[in-house]
Amino acid sequence: MGRRGPRVQGAARALPEAIAALSRSLPAGPSPEIFRRAKFDRPEAAPVLWQLLLRVLSPLAEINTCTDQAPEAQALVVKSALSSQGYPRSVLLQFPEGNSQGSRELLLAVSWLLARGPLLEQLLAQTRVQLGDQLPPCEWEALASPGPSAPLVETKSPVDLRLVEWLMGKLRIRWRRLISSQQEQCTLLSKIHLYTHGCHSEQNLGHLSVAETEMLRDPESGQQLLQALESENIRLEAALEWRRCQLVFWQWMDTVLDACSPESPAVTSQPIVLPMISEGGLAELELVKQELQALQEELREVAEPRRAAWEAQVAGLGRGPEWSNTRKALQEAVEQELEALRVSWEQSSNLAQPQRPHRLVRRKDGAARAPGLQAAKVIRTLSTQEACLRKALHQLQSQCQQELARLVGALPGLIWILAPGH
Amino acid sequence: MLGAKAGYLLPTDCARRLLAELQGALDFCAERQRQLERSLRVSRRLLQVWEPARSPSPEAETKEEDPTPACTPSAEDLKELELLTQALEKAVRVRKGVSKAGQRDRTPSLTSNAATAAAHSQAPSQAGSLASGTRSTKDIQWTTVPAKDYPEGRLPPRGDRTRVRTQAQAPRSGPGLRNQQMTPSAVPRATEPFTLKEKGTLLQLPVAFRKAASQNSRLWAQLGSGHTNDSTDAASAAKTQFLHKLQMASGCPSHRPGAAEVRAHAQSLRKACMLLRLHMQKKLSTAMTEQPPGPCLVEKPTQALSLCGEVDSFWCPELLIYSSTKELQTLATLKLQVAMLDQQIHLEKVLMTELLPLINTQEPRGPPWLALCRAAYSLLCKGGEDFLTVLRDDPAD
Repeated sequence: MGRRGPRVQGAARALPEAIAALSRSLPAGPSPEIFRRAKFDRPEAAPVLWQLLLRVLSPLAEINTCTDQAPEAQALVVKSALSSQGYPRSVLLQFPEGNSQGSRELLLAVSWLLARGPLLEQLLAQTRVQLGDQLPPCEWEALASPGPSAPLVETKSPVDLRLVEWLMGKLRIRWRRLISSQQEQCTLLSKIHLYTHGCHSEQNLGHLSVAETEMLRDPESGQQLLQALESENIRLEAALEWRRCQLVFWQWMDTVLDACSPESPAVTSQPIVLPMISEGGLAELELVKQELQALQEELREVAEPRRAAWEAQVAGLGRGPEWSNTRKALQEAVEQELEALRVSWEQSSNLAQPQRPHRLVRRKDGAARAPGLQAAKVIRTLSTQEACLRKALHQLQSQCQQELARLVGALPGLIWILAPGH
Repeated sequence: MLGAKAGYLLPTDCARRLLAELQGALDFCAERQRQLERSLRVSRRLLQVWEPARSPSPEAETKEEDPTPACTPSAEDLKELELLTQALEKAVRVRKGVSKAGQRDRTPSLTSNAATAAAHSQAPSQAGSLASGTRSTKDIQWTTVPAKDYPEGRLPPRGDRTRVRTQAQAPRSGPGLRNQQMTPSAVPRATEPFTLKEKGTLLQLPVAFRKAASQNSRLWAQLGSGHTNDSTDAASAAKTQFLHKLQMASGCPSHRPGAAEVRAHAQSLRKACMLLRLHMQKKLSTAMTEQPPGPCLVEKPTQALSLCGEVDSFWCPELLIYSSTKELQTLATLKLQVAMLDQQIHLEKVLMTELLPLINTQEPRGPPWLALCRAAYSLLCKGGEDFLTVLRDDPAD
């Protein structure tokens, strides 16, 4: 080793330094030595890498409980999550739960996750220290289908439909309560912002947030907040360093992959324990397909008469050059609109991370100081969205009404009396 | 007349699915409510009187207690005071060179020389915030953290992390006031409780925190800027190559999407559907008011519909500016209503899938069937809020 020139020595240090940066930015980062051993499939590296994968793949809500589980259960969580993400190598799936085999395969899995997407950024965003006040993110879509993690409801005795009615009522009450609690929280927040006006060192912000005020009220929590910030800063710096020097890691991973024997197709023809695409996923796609088809039908219905009217109007304008210019301009405008829509869709779906909620800042009306998103604008957008959803719900409901009338109307001698006032 | 007696029993698997969906919906609300309650607790506490936290003492006082007037210091209090005084003296030594005690607005709150203390240390700049000029100041400097953590040359004129001790005796704050006697018997209770409403504007964030916070947002901005240079391009190429090689080396060279990907894809398509629908509605509503398109009409492309507005950097602390409580409430309520409607639509579809086939197939068309229809009408057409009455007009009568 000593006979290498300084340049080579520098190069030899680059890899462990890169891995060290990676490790510092990860939540349960193993040392560079573990990585090296994993390349040679050493057993001692396996448990550490299992832990890393568990930490990286567990949803945030379950992080605290996942480490309490037995190693076999942990390994199962990891395998299930990898499979759910579409990890192609099935060798890993076949290792018996949680023993010390396959550290090289584990290393490949870690690298695959790293290479695919902004893993570090996602992990950091997951645990990001929130200094400001936000409106809690409230996206029902994200939890849309109760997939494999749905609560298993045991029904021992037959269930009366009235239980369903009662649960719907309970749900309605919960929403009402949620809304009123949220309104109370808004009042309190607004007061706190008002009372601490002028205290913040950042001019843009102008007042303290709850977290900052709480820090001043309770120094102990202040210390915790400070420490959390400082450790996050360390991780952030490490992530930036990793970005700069990661190339040498990928070159090294190439050699690791070479060291592995390629999987034979025969291996994967065995039935894999975990389904690659769950039933729920296919059902969801089916629902979406129906939704899109319905929308297409709606568009067609709306567009046809307009197109006909327009054609009739346009026919009278002749074929002069003025008209063809206008037509071209119109076409371009439409294309631009569609492009803008497409871009906006891509943006919202490419951001694989959940949108980070904005920090709430109270400012006197008319203080048109950028930057910042105005509440009025968001309110307009949300109002439109709300109206759209309400309309969609009513459409479904009247659809049901027609269907029920058809099913039931056939029977003579039944009188349906609707509730008064509706 | 079909009364409440008649019920309809659901087939087992159907019941299981329905209950699972409803439970999921209920859990969603419950979880949000829990989080909200936590935040409410913290906020309410901040708006009440601030209890001084006794960090050195082992017992935890409940924060909700109102301070009881302590006119006479006990022996225990005196001892505590002694310890605190020593700590404070040490802190003061460290902060030597700072503006004189006379310029500060702090004074020991309880001394028999309340008047003199007030006279000599009440900073005129603080007159606005310390409304009562005659009594000694209510704000007391108290370092709970060793001063070395907050290295600063100069204290800001406003109280740095002002605290108020209402029960315990206040430590002295400046070397200049060291010599004042403490006459236990004549200690007036000079401190007023600290409330955010009255004195919130006196607060100031500690320097160490400010540094860490600004570094934090700077680092996030850097991380999120994602600007590419040669090194990042090379790294991206290397990553793509690695992924490709791994895929080839695995048993199935063609990419099979996993469940998570499928779900994400479905969600993204749903979003597209929503965007298109919104855009269509917008177009329809404006078309009502527009003139029929003429030759000179070239419409500007509408802004991309994105809820999160400025999109230049996902990582920067984007601000959401509101101007009144009412506005904030409206915004928050709308958000919840959108989520609620999303959920309602989903449940509506689920109920349609489960209940309508049952109505079709249920034989004979007896009272249970009628109960089913009645419930289905209520659930599917009225969101479960209204019920109708079914009158059977028997032809045999």
